[in-house]
Amino acid sequence: MAKHDEGVITVGRSRAGTFFANGTGILFGLVMIFPVYWVLNTAFKPDSEVRSFTPTFFPNDFTLDNFKSALGEELFIPSMINGLIITAMSVAAALVVGFLGALAIARFSFYGRKAIIMVILAVQLVPFLALLIPLFLMLQQAEEGTGINLIGDSLLGVTLIYVVLLLPYTVWTLRGFISGIPRELDEAAMIDGCTRFQVFWRIILPLTGPGLVATSVYGFIQAWNEFIIINTMNDPKHQNLMAWLLYNQTERGTAWGPLMAGAIITSIPVVVFFLLIQRNIATGLTAGAVKG
Amino acid sequence: MHAVDSRQTPAEAPQAPPPRHVSRRVRIRSQRDSRVAWLLSLPTLVILIAMLAYPLYRMIVLSFQNMRLRELFSGATPPWVGFDQYTKALTDGVFWGVVGRTAAFTVVSVTLSVLVGLGIALLMRRVHAKVRIFMMVAMMFVWALPQLVAAQSFRWITDSDFGVLNYVLTELGFDYATHSWFVNPWEGWAVITTLVVWAGIPFLAISLSAGLTQVPKELLEAATVDGASPWQALRNITLPILKPLLMIVTTLSVIWNFGLFTQNWALRDGHPEPVYQTLATFSYTQAFGRSNYSYGSAIAVITVLLMLGVMIFYIRQMFKIGEVD
Amino acid sequence: MKRKIALAAAVAASMLGVAACGGGSSDDGATSATGKVDGAGKTIKVWLMVDAESAWKGVVDDASARFEAATGAKVNVEYQQWANHLTKLDATLAGSDVPDVVELGNTEFSKYVFSGGFAELNKGDFENSGTWLSGLSGACESEGKVYCVPYYAGARVMIYRTDLFQKAGIAEAPKTYADLLAAADKLQAGNAADKKFSAVYMPGQYWYAAMSWVKSTGGEIAKKDGDKWVGQLSSPQSVEGLQKWVDLTKKYSKADVTKNENEQAGIFSQGSGGIFYGNAWEQGVAEEVRKDPNDPNSPLVPTKVKGKLAAAPLPEIPSFLGGSNLGVTAKSGNKELAAQWVKYFTDSKSMEGLVKASALPNSTALLDKAAADNPKIAPAALSAKNSWFPPNAEKWADVEKASILQTMLTDILTGKKTVADGAKWADEQIAATLNEA
Repeated sequence: MAKHDEGVITVGRSRAGTFFANGTGILFGLVMIFPVYWVLNTAFKPDSEVRSFTPTFFPNDFTLDNFKSALGEELFIPSMINGLIITAMSVAAALVVGFLGALAIARFSFYGRKAIIMVILAVQLVPFLALLIPLFLMLQQAEEGTGINLIGDSLLGVTLIYVVLLLPYTVWTLRGFISGIPRELDEAAMIDGCTRFQVFWRIILPLTGPGLVATSVYGFIQAWNEFIIINTMNDPKHQNLMAWLLYNQTERGTAWGPLMAGAIITSIPVVVFFLLIQRNIATGLTAGAVKG
Repeated sequence: MHAVDSRQTPAEAPQAPPPRHVSRRVRIRSQRDSRVAWLLSLPTLVILIAMLAYPLYRMIVLSFQNMRLRELFSGATPPWVGFDQYTKALTDGVFWGVVGRTAAFTVVSVTLSVLVGLGIALLMRRVHAKVRIFMMVAMMFVWALPQLVAAQSFRWITDSDFGVLNYVLTELGFDYATHSWFVNPWEGWAVITTLVVWAGIPFLAISLSAGLTQVPKELLEAATVDGASPWQALRNITLPILKPLLMIVTTLSVIWNFGLFTQNWALRDGHPEPVYQTLATFSYTQAFGRSNYSYGSAIAVITVLLMLGVMIFYIRQMFKIGEVD
Repeated sequence: MKRKIALAAAVAASMLGVAACGGGSSDDGATSATGKVDGAGKTIKVWLMVDAESAWKGVVDDASARFEAATGAKVNVEYQQWANHLTKLDATLAGSDVPDVVELGNTEFSKYVFSGGFAELNKGDFENSGTWLSGLSGACESEGKVYCVPYYAGARVMIYRTDLFQKAGIAEAPKTYADLLAAADKLQAGNAADKKFSAVYMPGQYWYAAMSWVKSTGGEIAKKDGDKWVGQLSSPQSVEGLQKWVDLTKKYSKADVTKNENEQAGIFSQGSGGIFYGNAWEQGVAEEVRKDPNDPNSPLVPTKVKGKLAAAPLPEIPSFLGGSNLGVTAKSGNKELAAQWVKYFTDSKSMEGLVKASALPNSTALLDKAAADNPKIAPAALSAKNSWFPPNAEKWADVEKASILQTMLTDILTGKKTVADGAKWADEQIAATLNEA
């Protein structure tokens, strides 16, 4: 982002104003980061220091015990693996299906195109929580009908729901990327004897690469952060980390230290991905699906 | 390279209408193309219809029935009650209280987030490069923090017994030892709003600051030279260019904040008191807490209807962009 | 043991008849737990709450081993979190792949019995069934039919700081309510320097406590008048008890009025409290914490109040009786096996194990022996003899879900409503909820 801003407007700017601006900026950054810092600070304190009437602003007795505790919790690692599997599968499926759909919308003008775009935009706004019970009933019936395990002790049903959750956004964003590729390239390739399919495969797909990466990262974040659907659909052994985070209570109530350590571990992949695609962050922001 | 809607729109929208000849050329293509297009969209459509349209249909049907636990367990068709669930909701003061509260929260939180977001975006253009990077990094972390983690961290910070907020206020000489932030609904909602605004600022500030790069510097400089005050420059140059983007991010914020669930749910430890209920938690509590699946569905349908205006506006905005290519 | 509590089930007979048929299979009559079943190759699925895993997993394993030896079937126990277990149960019971045995809090059961979720059982098949604690079994029994089996109970006691009592010159645990108030006064005076000090730590949404005070003056939460439920909190007796609780809380407690009792032991362990009202096992929770909170086998670490606590029945205040029951699901494909497992898990041998783990047994006949075997639970066993539980209404769980009592208490404590107004409001809400069609 920084590259856009190197030109600084100097006209009409006082030194005091700049000083004030810098001060405000630093203060803003500090206030913003404080809750994040407090999560970190709590995670590295021993329980006696966490649960204390006089909080310390830096761990007096720096410890990794909370991380060991979270990682050692019976369901933490299984939840992490479940989350990774569900996320990977749903993102991959949404990308494949979404890419095809995006191609249709971006490269063809056909009867019904508008309707499809409308549907894709509209469904992003449907409150998903409301669909939980019908979805559950449906998957339950499908399970009885087909004999395939979908919910409860299976990750398949939740993965399917996540695909729907990600799909509209994926199509919409990829559409943006694909329309950014000049049509002249397609036409030139076709003149050179490529079939339509070859154009998609050899030209559009590679050029959409960065878009696929960005889209899949958003997809990852969406799927990784979801916890209400999975918690309603699945048994305790088939949860993801976010659900673990909400419901990990011990007999002594919330164990804040391990919980914050778990929160950090849960956030790490998201934060890393965010920082990696920092440059593309404005991409598709407005497509409606991304909120941290 | 990257087709960035948010960057193109502000620049293009106020200028000439998009060239139409491209799409006209496409339109001349053969029928075979239309078949290919439908084939390509088929998987998307099948998934959306099976996993979204059908449950949506069932939800609407459910809202005209009276489904309780017994029907859920036995699989029997729930009795048809017509508009009873809707009548129940629309004549219930509690429900209207929830609607009013959700709407008020949405207005306040969106106004605050957009204003602060815009302010920060403008501020980022004035500060030293290093300060700007610091602000960006701070915002990136906040943005990246999963909603639930953010909510948990606020719950921890505002805890009446162990929270750092009470500690700091007490050290500063105020009597905040064991102060509960959720006794007074105004204070409680202030905490929830702070959380939502805090978490929403990065999205707004960063996308608006991306939008601001579309404002030609020459124009601003020229205006300043001509004696325009910074406020005039902002009002007459920057804001008009930023308007389409502002509209979209505001609309999105409205949609998101109107659906508030995770934050008040987590801050009230999974059982929000009546004053902390929003439409989303109210519908969820009715359906899953009290096994009033039909009433919960009716509330969800009403929520969608209430949002319809905003949603149509959003879709039309997005549609314009979709048609640009 | 915390969020759910006692409930019994005298649901109108005709409605129950319908409900029992709702599940589809209850027509076959009661499921026997005594027949000889060949369970070879079969596995039953059992849902217990986490308490069993953290406090008495050995008892579960032992009962399962005896069950497996007798029937040849296997047991698969899954431990559930309290946090949203009902949502998951609803979803699961809607399908056909259901757990065979389910544990629920005693206040939660009647809703499910009414909705046809559980199968009828043969009361006589279970040991001590003649002396089940009525606070637990009330939710199971109706019209002579039994749909679940009491599992364990918890009664509440006062837990207090012996060192502070001594310092304040209080020789022994209060024997009367007046003694209690006198002790609280002394504690309050002696610790005035500590801003966070609560002579009696009482979180504002601790409705089990508040209702115990209501009971102490002869009040009621609700009662059935004909076929309608009527809220009773605004009756003079109830208001008197409520006022008594409010006076105590306002005067002696610095606790958060929007918190419930879930974390009270942890807060009390900071040393800024004189007395709190909790489950017997919460004394241990306040005195020691696990080094690793997520590992029930990690060593115990003493807190600031280690060795300074004692428990006694709260004088003149009847105890709320909490606990859990076990039911065999109506859709279970292995009802007889499931019932047999429940039989082993609730027999006297298993109860002995529970007593060792400081839970109260499911039968009044076992209470005295429990008190003798485990001095730690003696005060609770005494309390359990003078105990109460919420109205036996099918929709009682919804009153809890809707936080009606909690909201009333917070509103009264903050002065938003007077006791009378709050009680009147709650009565209206409770009646509307319990009578809802």
